Amino acid sequence: MSKETKERNVELIEKSKEVVRDAFEKYDPAKCAITWTGGKDSTTNLWIIRQVCIEENIGLPQVITIDEGDAFPEITDFLVTISKKWHIDLKWLCNFDMLKSCQSHLGNDIQVKDLDERNQAELKRIEFNLKSFPFEAESYAGNHLMKTVVLNKFIEESNTELLFMALRRDEQAARKEDEYFTHHEAGHLMPEHTRVSPILHFTERDIWDNTHLHNLPYCPLYKIGYRSLGARTSSNPGEVGVPAWEQDIENVPERAGRRQDKEKAMERLRKLGYM
Amino acid sequence: MKNVILLTIDTLRKDVLGCYGNQNKLTPFIDSLQNKSIKFTNAQSTGPYTQASFPGILTSSYYLEYGRQKKCSPKRTLISEVLKKSGITTAGFHSNPYLCGYFGWNRGWDVFYDSMQDEVSDKIPYIKGDGINRKVDQWLSSYIEDDHYRPFFLWTHYMDVHEPYIPAREYLNKVDPSINLSEDDMLDLFKEIILKRDISDQKTVKLLKKLYDAGVRETDDYVKNFFKILEKYGVLKDSVVIITTDHGDEFGEHHGLSHDGKMYAELINSPLLIYYYNCTQEVGDNLVSNIDIPPTILYLFGLEPSEAFKGHSFLPLENYPQKRAFGEAIGKTSNQEKETDQPIYFYRENDLKIIYQESDKSWEMYNLNEDPQELNNLINISDKSKDMKKKIMSQITR
Repeated sequence: MSKETKERNVELIEKSKEVVRDAFEKYDPAKCAITWTGGKDSTTNLWIIRQVCIEENIGLPQVITIDEGDAFPEITDFLVTISKKWHIDLKWLCNFDMLKSCQSHLGNDIQVKDLDERNQAELKRIEFNLKSFPFEAESYAGNHLMKTVVLNKFIEESNTELLFMALRRDEQAARKEDEYFTHHEAGHLMPEHTRVSPILHFTERDIWDNTHLHNLPYCPLYKIGYRSLGARTSSNPGEVGVPAWEQDIENVPERAGRRQDKEKAMERLRKLGYM
Repeated sequence: MKNVILLTIDTLRKDVLGCYGNQNKLTPFIDSLQNKSIKFTNAQSTGPYTQASFPGILTSSYYLEYGRQKKCSPKRTLISEVLKKSGITTAGFHSNPYLCGYFGWNRGWDVFYDSMQDEVSDKIPYIKGDGINRKVDQWLSSYIEDDHYRPFFLWTHYMDVHEPYIPAREYLNKVDPSINLSEDDMLDLFKEIILKRDISDQKTVKLLKKLYDAGVRETDDYVKNFFKILEKYGVLKDSVVIITTDHGDEFGEHHGLSHDGKMYAELINSPLLIYYYNCTQEVGDNLVSNIDIPPTILYLFGLEPSEAFKGHSFLPLENYPQKRAFGEAIGKTSNQEKETDQPIYFYRENDLKIIYQESDKSWEMYNLNEDPQELNNLINISDKSKDMKKKIMSQITR
């Protein structure tokens, strides 16, 4: 790795650590939580926060992961293995009520009337008014219940004030103006909280440089071509068989696997009444 | 001639254009193009909604040929793929989610803008025509740097006529200044009337048609600005422009709204103009289909026909062999397609059109000469029924 890359890496990490320290000055670590998907970004993020905690002698905040019911087994294995290795008490969050109503089977129909009060209220909130929907990563209602609702519920029940996320500015044009800290006002069924993304200034290339430079663990799916990992049924490899970091990262969108595009397309189609 | 430009306007009914007889002056600019165009009076779409029709327009194949898939099958060949291989630059700009990269329509394009990375307004979930034009302008400004640029194929698609029918105030005023609706009111109409397919109140249906008409008037200005951009970069005189739609829209003609899985005139009849600055006005009354567009584009570029394409070039007019058209879709009855919805087909030969719906095995046949609105079902009285049934079945079981 070139000298420039190494120097850049030192600066990137120092900037991230500053953000983390700043976060711990403003918020009680006991009221913070770290999201970790097992993907490359949130693993890098966790690695940096963990270092600051060790350096500053602060207890690592609660680490959480959301089981959307459609995870790659490779990701689940990765989370289990690295939790052990890094001594992390990982909290697995899941919308069990929803899994119960479809017998945990992807594609099964979920009857809205079988869901609990909170889930029904959440569906009303997003103006979903059909009687049933299939449990799949691409279903709008399913996605909302398995992810957003689970997270909101956790924040509420644990009184979390600050959530560590792993967004990167270069992920989409719309994020160019993003700040490290974003405050979320309380809304209907959405508790007030702040989100912070210490690795906001990392690019996809920086993530891989950092991973290799410091020998960070990563999910083996990246090695066979995935560049962005989401739910199993909605993630596709970029170039099959070519490790993510050897692909044309600078010119081919990270989501050529198209998870986000799919979500965007689905969201627009839903607004047009097609979903 | 150097370039070919395909301009498609989503959901554009043939009968709203002045050049096809509409008296409401909704398309003054497009109408002005007919002096330098071949105007087709019998163009048919291959299907009544985007997913059913665009396989015809961009891949010269029918919707259900490769099974019932949401994505553009890798077995289809896009016109962009053929052209790119021939050294022609290909650029596409649109904002129809069903045609985005995720659904596989990004193959073969040197430049492909599907707007999925951009933010759209909450009420109108697509980039409007002016936004699409800006993208085209940006691309052309960098592409046409010297006079020796490579020939290009440009596809531009506007969504503005498509529901939720929220036209800009300015255009609503041109259609009917007495309509006093806010954007929220219009969105409510879309949700309460269009999505529920509620045609119980004739007045509301007429009001919705006016909102639709205003969208047409608005789009005509986008087309005008698009031509201005082509002129600004000096490419208009070097380009043939094909203007058409993917399908029409219904306002109660057959007891429905929007564009479901039906095969009637208001959805299947398409406007089709081929503009060239040096062309003299001509009318083509051949029965042509949008499946013929990719072969026509190859013809215009002077390229050999492709075996991947089912259609025939409709140019030169006198060589066009077909006198029949076919289309297929899923007979869905709302915006949302259900797994249990069954296919529907139409087949047309001269003035006869037969429709077969698989769900209830029902047949309809219309004589378009006597009954252009397709209201008088002849299937049980015409002596041509048997022959037409045979012909459509041979298409279905191809």
